[in-house]
Amino acid sequence: MNITAILYAVGLLGGMGILAGMLLTFADSKFSVPVDEREARVREAVSGANCGVCGYPGCDAFAAAVVRGEAPITGCIPGGARTIEALSEIMGLNAEGKEPMTARVLCLGNNDTVKPRYEYTGYKSCRLASQLSGSPKKCYVACLGQGDCVRACKFDAIRIVNGLAVIDEKKCTACEQCVLVCPHNVIKMQPLSATVLVRCRNTQPARGSREACLAACIACKRCEKACQYDAIHVQNNCAIIDVAKCTRCGDCVAVCPSKCIIMT
Amino acid sequence: MRKFTFGGGIHPLSDMHEGKAETRGREVIAFAPDQVVIPMDMHLGAPSVPTVAKGDTVLLGQVIATPTGARGIPVHASVSGTVSDVGMRQLVGRAPSMCVVIDNDHRDEWVKLTPLGTVETAPADQIIPAIQQAGICGLGGACFPTHAKMTIPEGKVVDTLIINGAECETFLTADFRLMLETPDRVVQGTRLAMRGMNVPRAIIAIEDNKPEAIDTMREAIKGQSGIELAVMKTKYPQGGEKYLISSLLKREVPSGGLPLDAHVVVLNVGTAAVISDAILDGKPLTTRIVTVTGAVKTPSNLRVRIGTSIQDAVAFCGGYTEPPARIFFGGSMSGIAVPDDTMPITKANNGVVALTEKQAVLYEESPCIRCGRCVRACPARLNPFQLKAVLDVNDDLVEAERLHIAECCVCGACSYVCPARRTLSSTIKAARDVIAARRMAR
Repeated sequence: MNITAILYAVGLLGGMGILAGMLLTFADSKFSVPVDEREARVREAVSGANCGVCGYPGCDAFAAAVVRGEAPITGCIPGGARTIEALSEIMGLNAEGKEPMTARVLCLGNNDTVKPRYEYTGYKSCRLASQLSGSPKKCYVACLGQGDCVRACKFDAIRIVNGLAVIDEKKCTACEQCVLVCPHNVIKMQPLSATVLVRCRNTQPARGSREACLAACIACKRCEKACQYDAIHVQNNCAIIDVAKCTRCGDCVAVCPSKCIIMT
Repeated sequence: MRKFTFGGGIHPLSDMHEGKAETRGREVIAFAPDQVVIPMDMHLGAPSVPTVAKGDTVLLGQVIATPTGARGIPVHASVSGTVSDVGMRQLVGRAPSMCVVIDNDHRDEWVKLTPLGTVETAPADQIIPAIQQAGICGLGGACFPTHAKMTIPEGKVVDTLIINGAECETFLTADFRLMLETPDRVVQGTRLAMRGMNVPRAIIAIEDNKPEAIDTMREAIKGQSGIELAVMKTKYPQGGEKYLISSLLKREVPSGGLPLDAHVVVLNVGTAAVISDAILDGKPLTTRIVTVTGAVKTPSNLRVRIGTSIQDAVAFCGGYTEPPARIFFGGSMSGIAVPDDTMPITKANNGVVALTEKQAVLYEESPCIRCGRCVRACPARLNPFQLKAVLDVNDDLVEAERLHIAECCVCGACSYVCPARRTLSSTIKAARDVIAARRMAR
């Protein structure tokens, strides 16, 4: 065996390696782009659902925007208080805690209460049903029960029970995706603390709304009289609760003849 | 002979899905019901305003509503009798429509417009206003007011008028029977429209599955200078305005544009026939030909009064053979399902198709296998599978708009060919209408 040949080979390759290493080290320091390591930590802390409620295309873009200081650290609503806490720690900012919100279905029109106008036998899509001759249900603002919100929800918080969407408030992260897809705008965002709610949006006069649905607000104003805090009023044939004044005493719930005021 | 066609499109199975055989040989029968419900918003544009009240006596052809806006058209009573109701009713549209209900006294006393003379003597500048006065809108289905279509804006040039006798939609033979029975009416209407718009050339376009109509029309246009006959390959949706122009003239209507931008105006053969009725006889638009077919005892072509309910028309055809699972206005490809059979037949409806339980079956959707058949079938050259994906996964309307969802003509070709039974057409249509409504609101 020729020992010099081996030494040559080792020396040559080793030399080339050292040279290339020096070149790369030089290039790395010369052309380096400053990377904010906080971005990765922010990305870890946000919800990771890519829901888009922050207004950015996905969690990566939101994390980058937070680090650049463009997006507020309260932007990730599905992450909740924990994410905001984590982000304020990473970014060294103090965040005002946001009032926790939840989506609520303002309708009680299930298969037993609201009357059908016609039998909808098409594909399961609320949007499609809402475009065919007004609405398959007699009430024009009723939940259509075809499950567009169920498909939109990334947190498995909505189910259709007897033709009516029901939201699990424990699972709801207030990402608003269901609010956006509902063609009848039945789902609204509400503070989690507002537990007394008028679950009807029918603005027809009493006769029309009662004809359409057994659980409709008939604007009888009994809740208005029962309320000691001036918190509930009938406007445009439908009762509305002023969240700021409501003390959740439940007097209106007790007197409502169509049981459309619900305390959760 | 050269046959014209366009890219994309489908061939509905002639024995199973085309459904034209039942009514091909049925002569058009006139029929007047005991009551008509006439909506005020049959045409595209602002609804007309009723000028009659409950209890009024009206004559056949009397104006019962005046137009609003430049595009508006008046509405005429389609029967003589007593107005029994004026009020809002929920029809097939999204919102309730104002309707005038008239009880028919079966006397058919006419109030006519003043005829303008013959085809050659009618003053050219009065033809378009007369068409508006007669309440004429496109009878092909979209119901765009015809006078507005024919009024060529300043700076635009129109060199060709296309008379659309393609009737590519499944189940329908109304236009076919019209061309077979009254070819002269179509030719007269064509000539009047040419004179009204001052267009030198007209093409009557017919698909090659209607050889009788082609022969009859060829006979009728003999000696007429400037009117040609074009035979097109049978393919759905050959009768779509944009695809018709691309077939015949190899011109493209720009995205978001009108046929006017391709220097063309397209009228349906039915529209041409009623133009001649209005101008030569002074008869406003009060009837139309409708194919009533499917699960009915005697499938027929009826000349019904505007506002006749589906159940009256079906009863005249002998009733249903079995309780229908689904009823369509229009053919089975692009028709609109109706909630029940009390809906009135309007100026826009060229067919009533009742499907049986077996025919109306809905298939379970399965995942897209990326075969690309919908892409090849789409006459608008969209990617239906991609649109469906962005709508299903995130309901991303912005992305759908970027993928030109507005170009979809809801022909249903993608859904027809999809081996995975994906609900392409209905999903895209629903989203397209939401986007259009939002854009209007903006």
